[in-house]
Amino acid sequence: MNSQIQTAAGFIARLLANPALKSYTPLQKEEQILQFLNANSAQLMPTLRSPQFFSGLPDHEITSLLITALTNTIDTEIPAFLDLILDRRVNFDFISFMTQRADSSAQSRDQVRKLVETMLSRPESRRALTGPLAAVYYGMSKKYLDELFQRRGYTHFELTKVQRLRMGREHVQAMLDVNIILKPAIYSVSGSEGGQSSYSSGLVQPAFAETARSLLLKRLPAVPDSVVASSVHANMSFVEHPSVEATARLASVFSARARGYQPNQRVDRGADTPDKSWFSVARRNYKFYGFDVKILDELYSVAAELLW
Amino acid sequence: MDSPRTSRLVGILENIVLVAIVLVVIQSFVEDLAELLDWSWGLRRNVLYAAFALDLFFSVEFLTRFYAAFVRGSARRYMQHERGWIDLVASIPLLLFASGPQLAAIATGGAAIVGVGRTLNLLKIIKAIRIARVLRLLRALKLFRNIKHTDSVITQNHVARLASLLVTTFVAVLMFFSLVDIVANLPGFERSFRERTLTIAGTIAEQGLADSSSESALRSFVAYEQSILVVRESGHTRFARYPNEVFSRQFGPGDYTWIRSGSVEVFVSLRPVFRNQSRDSLIYLLVIVSIIGVLLFLYAPFFCMTVSDPAYVMTRGMREAGYNLQVSLNEDGGDDEMTALARSYNEEFLPLKARNAEENAASDLTLDSLGDLLDPS
Repeated sequence: MNSQIQTAAGFIARLLANPALKSYTPLQKEEQILQFLNANSAQLMPTLRSPQFFSGLPDHEITSLLITALTNTIDTEIPAFLDLILDRRVNFDFISFMTQRADSSAQSRDQVRKLVETMLSRPESRRALTGPLAAVYYGMSKKYLDELFQRRGYTHFELTKVQRLRMGREHVQAMLDVNIILKPAIYSVSGSEGGQSSYSSGLVQPAFAETARSLLLKRLPAVPDSVVASSVHANMSFVEHPSVEATARLASVFSARARGYQPNQRVDRGADTPDKSWFSVARRNYKFYGFDVKILDELYSVAAELLW
Repeated sequence: MDSPRTSRLVGILENIVLVAIVLVVIQSFVEDLAELLDWSWGLRRNVLYAAFALDLFFSVEFLTRFYAAFVRGSARRYMQHERGWIDLVASIPLLLFASGPQLAAIATGGAAIVGVGRTLNLLKIIKAIRIARVLRLLRALKLFRNIKHTDSVITQNHVARLASLLVTTFVAVLMFFSLVDIVANLPGFERSFRERTLTIAGTIAEQGLADSSSESALRSFVAYEQSILVVRESGHTRFARYPNEVFSRQFGPGDYTWIRSGSVEVFVSLRPVFRNQSRDSLIYLLVIVSIIGVLLFLYAPFFCMTVSDPAYVMTRGMREAGYNLQVSLNEDGGDDEMTALARSYNEEFLPLKARNAEENAASDLTLDSLGDLLDPS
């Protein structure tokens, strides 16, 4: 059995070394390989059943071995990746600013990290973290908020006048990043403490969101209620619930955008840039995903003008 | 399946062909410029050797390609769809009817081909052959694939078809009028030159200009008739426009003709006719180079932008699950069929694909990208 585990680990290591995955985050790599194994199992299995790989093992055991090896390998990269995200990419100082307590930033960071580690231990929430962590890793919120604040358009108005965020752009951006990270936290309360999840559609109803919010607040006592609420509301449809906060709407868009984000994607001649293409398609599908189409319009304009 | 060594060899040969194509374009211009700029015979002879060498090279290349296609059973495909007909038209006929006879004329001193005293009758045929040389420029179409914006197959085919039709039509019209000119003996520079030249010897003989007593009258006459090179009477030279070393340096066989009337012999330069033909030929070359240049650098990018690039993006989007870039459309673009298709692709297909992708997510990894990972070791 040990040799088969080693074979699986070796096989996965070779897959992970593929240049096509080089610039992805660990969870994106994991998702790419899972999708690859899923899509190509019919072609791969005859070879994987052969003596030089997993001789005599049934297909489902081979798959299980490979997935375990993949998860174990990615898990070795996760601590450093989380250090990078939570210590360097996100500045939790905005929480001290909101709560007026100096120690709440560090406490919040530790609690968020603990929650993320819990989410990573469950397959469903682990999958859901791919997009949000990628969004923070690639600095999506900073990239766009800088522009949106400069333009002072619809999104800026929604953030500062409607949501009434009385803090600087850096703090808003940090809050947005935390919203993005905590958006899939709804998975960590579904099914157990949170009762039956309505998450199969990708969107939740207000009643479920309210339960999730109160459960999450118990796990994240140092994080302000408004931050947790905005994170949970990022899973609600703005089309059906126009009161959803602007930060939640942005978190929802950026999480979705980053899930399949390919850094350094080559733009073919005659094609639009990746972000412009994505926002354009999202504008068509805004009802399906519950996005705020006006925010998408503004992000589309930014991407189109700056060739992102 | 070709071995890497074979592929490398083919690559080297293809590059040699490309260099030869560039050279043939340069050679075509230099040949006419040499005539216009009055280059020495030695230089012009080298240019003619180069023309022969290039025509021979392209004839061998055509025969090789045709033989290879024939062996593969794809001779018809090569001739029709892979521009084999251009290879044919721009090689063997030129070798047989243009550069080959020129080389033979040089080798035989000109007599074997043109015939002493009959040269004037052949001036229009020489003109027609000169026009046919323009066909060499069709080869420039082969440079398409190496130029930006023309790396798509449909662009190459479309632009090459258009260019070859335009150039061939242009050359065919010129050739047709040349043939009509030969048959109907239409008025023109060659005809008036011929008629005037044929009377020169008779005029000199009748008026006794070659007599030793009429030296000043002869000088006046040759000053008026600049094409007269030498006047001889009963074997004695009465007039020579240049010293002998100039004649041998500047004139080759075929550059002059010889006319006799009684005891009077006159050597007449044909260079004015050739210069006139070279000027016309240079204009034809420039017209064709301009047509090809406009097609390559203006029309091909336009075709790419409006047809092949959108088609490429849409094809990738439909074939590859993870490819979600939309076709770039000009906001105030037209309503042609391709724009309408691209708009449907952007506004209907991609959004639908994005929704389906929630269930059927794609990976950037492919079986092909695994390399030897699955190979038994």
